Amino acid sequence: MILLDSYNKIIESTLRDAFESEQPETINVTAADFDGVTYTIVTPDKTRPNEIVVSMHMGCYPELQRYGADDMLRKEYDSLLHSVGSGGDSSADVVLKIDSKALPEDKESVVKKVAHLKRNALAAPFERAFNAQIAGESSELMTVNYRDEEIFFVQAQADRVTVIFSTTFKDETDRIFGKVFLQEFVDARRQPSIQNAPQVLYSPREPPLELRGVAGLRDSENIAYVTFVLFPRHFATEELRRDAISRIQMFRDYLHYHIKCSKAYMHSRMRARVDSFLKVLNRAKPEKPDDQKEKKTASGRTFKMR
Amino acid sequence: MSNTLKTYIAAVRATLTAAMCLENFASQHVERHNKPEVEARATPEVLLAPVVISRNENEKVLIEGSINSVRVSIKIKQADEIERILCHKFTRFMMMRAENFVILRRKPVEGYDISFLITNFHTEQMYKHKLVDFIIQFMEEVDKEISEMKISLNARARIVAESVWRNDLAGRFRFG
Repeated sequence: MILLDSYNKIIESTLRDAFESEQPETINVTAADFDGVTYTIVTPDKTRPNEIVVSMHMGCYPELQRYGADDMLRKEYDSLLHSVGSGGDSSADVVLKIDSKALPEDKESVVKKVAHLKRNALAAPFERAFNAQIAGESSELMTVNYRDEEIFFVQAQADRVTVIFSTTFKDETDRIFGKVFLQEFVDARRQPSIQNAPQVLYSPREPPLELRGVAGLRDSENIAYVTFVLFPRHFATEELRRDAISRIQMFRDYLHYHIKCSKAYMHSRMRARVDSFLKVLNRAKPEKPDDQKEKKTASGRTFKMR
Repeated sequence: MSNTLKTYIAAVRATLTAAMCLENFASQHVERHNKPEVEARATPEVLLAPVVISRNENEKVLIEGSINSVRVSIKIKQADEIERILCHKFTRFMMMRAENFVILRRKPVEGYDISFLITNFHTEQMYKHKLVDFIIQFMEEVDKEISEMKISLNARARIVAESVWRNDLAGRFRFG
């Protein structure tokens, strides 16, 4: 399982169970996703358990709204969308209402669509940048503070779209492992089979040129900047576009997930090595002479020494 | 490069075997107490001159002897940041399990990465030549382990970096 999925498994399995069961049941699920996003799935009316309300709380939603997230979600979810923004009757950022009795033929697609809620919301600045680039104009530098201390920027230019992540490493070890991983990302293009992939650039502490002059950037040893450069061929078709957005928005979580996996692997290796050292050390202990050894029979009873 | 390794190891082995001639020695300061003199350092006449055997400035072994105990401190080769972190983690891991290891010291001596303390009680319970073998083997294996961990980290990083651009489970790449 190298790649992380861009949809939320909890929503997917809850909705799938709800749609497939004969008798609709009441649901009350609170789930969390990456980057501090939380969902609640409830059936508010006990007499009508086929009406399911899915709400998402996302800290950076107001910023995404500025970049056209509302329209994107309206286009994607259509009749399922109930309200966006915290101005409405609930405090959640996005609310979907689904009637499990009135589903279209293809239930799976509804399940997958709702599970992709976070991804679709985050896709707003990307879509805006892609559309701007295709039209040949450059766009403003779009900033999204998707996590507490981490920001990502999207900007379209005349011939390309640049996405810049600033990621923080809380731990010294994380930082050094992260450096190794990010260096490999930069070097991956040396392989002939992925020469056409987007270019990745990495800068350990200094913000890259595109961000010079942007206010509010923290300066510390633990920050790294990763830049993806996407050319028109990378988002030419609808499918490529969807894929590029899904992978790039999961990038930060993917990186940290693998850093933690490699720390766990190191740990289990060290444990194995320490065990082998212990075995060697125990070889240094001489065997007890025969009259002091405890002898046991096959069934486990011990001989008593007199 | 490796011919210095052999002479280095031979020198360490010879010095260790000579230093590990230990006998019981009751503390001369506190009645009925028995302390490893190399740690207590209370009685100067039972302490031997410390010996440093270095292969180069990054790798050396300090052997401090006394009448009833020997302290062996090793400085492991750490060429870059990654090796430094891996070495630090590995030695910390071992030192936390010092009780199981019996001869390991919970804190390394200043300037070294890991220390062993061998007392006369240990040499009474275990074969001396096997103890020396253990320490020599430890020195060789730690270097090997750290470079293996570094290689596996680099390999994993390469696979992770490539997988991001993979198209599907069959492993075809997206862009070419």
